[in-house]
Amino acid sequence: MKIVIVDYGMGNLKSISSAMIYLGVSEVKISSDYDELNSADKIILPGVGSFGKAMKEIKERKLDDHLKELVIEKKKPLLGICLGMQLLGLSSTEDGLNEGLGFVNAEVTKFDTVRMKVPHVGFNQVKVNTELRLYKNVPQNADFYFTHSYKMLSAASINQCTCDYNGEFIASFELDNIAGVQYHPELSQHNGLALLKNFLNSF
Amino acid sequence: MLRKRIIFSLIYNDGFFMQSRNFRLQKVGDLHWLEKNYGFRGIAFSLDELVVINATRGNKDISKFASMITALVDDVFIPITAGGGIRSVENAELLFRSGADKILLNTTLHENKDLVRELIRIYGSQSIVGCLDYKRTGDEIKVYIKDGSESIETSFNDYLLGLEALGIGEIYLNSIDKDGTGFGYDFEEIKKVAASIKQPLIIAGGAGNENHLIEGLKIPGVSAVATANLFNFIGNGLPNARKKILDSGENIACWEK
Repeated sequence: MKIVIVDYGMGNLKSISSAMIYLGVSEVKISSDYDELNSADKIILPGVGSFGKAMKEIKERKLDDHLKELVIEKKKPLLGICLGMQLLGLSSTEDGLNEGLGFVNAEVTKFDTVRMKVPHVGFNQVKVNTELRLYKNVPQNADFYFTHSYKMLSAASINQCTCDYNGEFIASFELDNIAGVQYHPELSQHNGLALLKNFLNSF
Repeated sequence: MLRKRIIFSLIYNDGFFMQSRNFRLQKVGDLHWLEKNYGFRGIAFSLDELVVINATRGNKDISKFASMITALVDDVFIPITAGGGIRSVENAELLFRSGADKILLNTTLHENKDLVRELIRIYGSQSIVGCLDYKRTGDEIKVYIKDGSESIETSFNDYLLGLEALGIGEIYLNSIDKDGTGFGYDFEEIKKVAASIKQPLIIAGGAGNENHLIEGLKIPGVSAVATANLFNFIGNGLPNARKKILDSGENIACWEK
């Protein structure tokens, strides 16, 4: 299996790539090249950083067009992680109002900084729906590692599982060939490795 | 419910890991030693996070430090914060590329606020941990930079407010007086800070056994307890401590298979 981790010049991609190798993936590439993405069996869109800057980097590399073609038209499986999940939504209020890739009907807004410590950082429990493909063999209320100041919400039904931090927000969703997780599975010990394995096997 | 965290801090000095006491460093061993005597990749499964601090006196050689990070993080699936000597966007980028999930800033917070703003703009607040080293002299608390070698004029409270205004994601509060003593955290000061700041608070300096960690975790407003004490938590020290802390009912993550 070939996995391509989308490189748009931001953040730590090493943990995800070593998790893939740990799980026995034969070929792992970190790239923003169209041919690499096109030859991937599955794509991972990671993300550390701010939404506005990330979208700018993505557009500069024409990754918005490439991903639309490969993921929406050709139905290649895609997993968005953390900011990578948020980028799949319609918009975010980070760095002013910015448009996302729009693959999923969801919006990103900031946590309430008055009542809660922000960023929301550390392990928190996800209300796992074990019937979903992402959560096979993952226990109920499993702990996953989060670090983010913005949260995704959706009025639509996108098979979301939620986490609570002064109100529920989307911890993960899965829709056809697209999945997103707000937490970092590559930094979430056994639970995270199980999640990644499910993405590799069931998408 | 958001869990509290147990963090191990590795103090690095020119290729070796150190035991620090009041910021005086004593050589313990290199990465090979750490793996051999500590079974580090196994131990990492009882930690929530790892902080690696480049405390090298003199030239910090970030490239060499970054190579060590790369070797360290293979098969360690927990968040890594790395820092010490970051003076440019390129330094930060190198550490992120080498496997750091967050970076730790200290001297730069005082000396180059423009760089701090730039790093936050690029990587987001959640990727930046502000390290605050402090020392008590009588009733006065002074903030120290440059590996604890130089105090600054800004008051402790103003400094904390400044870090919040800058948009620093988390605060790593480290007592130089308590560092490496094993006598327990500076609970008095920690309680005041925990009640006042808006960001997540990591406390460091003084933990010598699991009871200190538990006492720290019980303070409302403390998000994480850190220890850099290689000697006190060697071998099965950390897995055992984690088990005792879980058994004591503290709110930490559970991920045993």
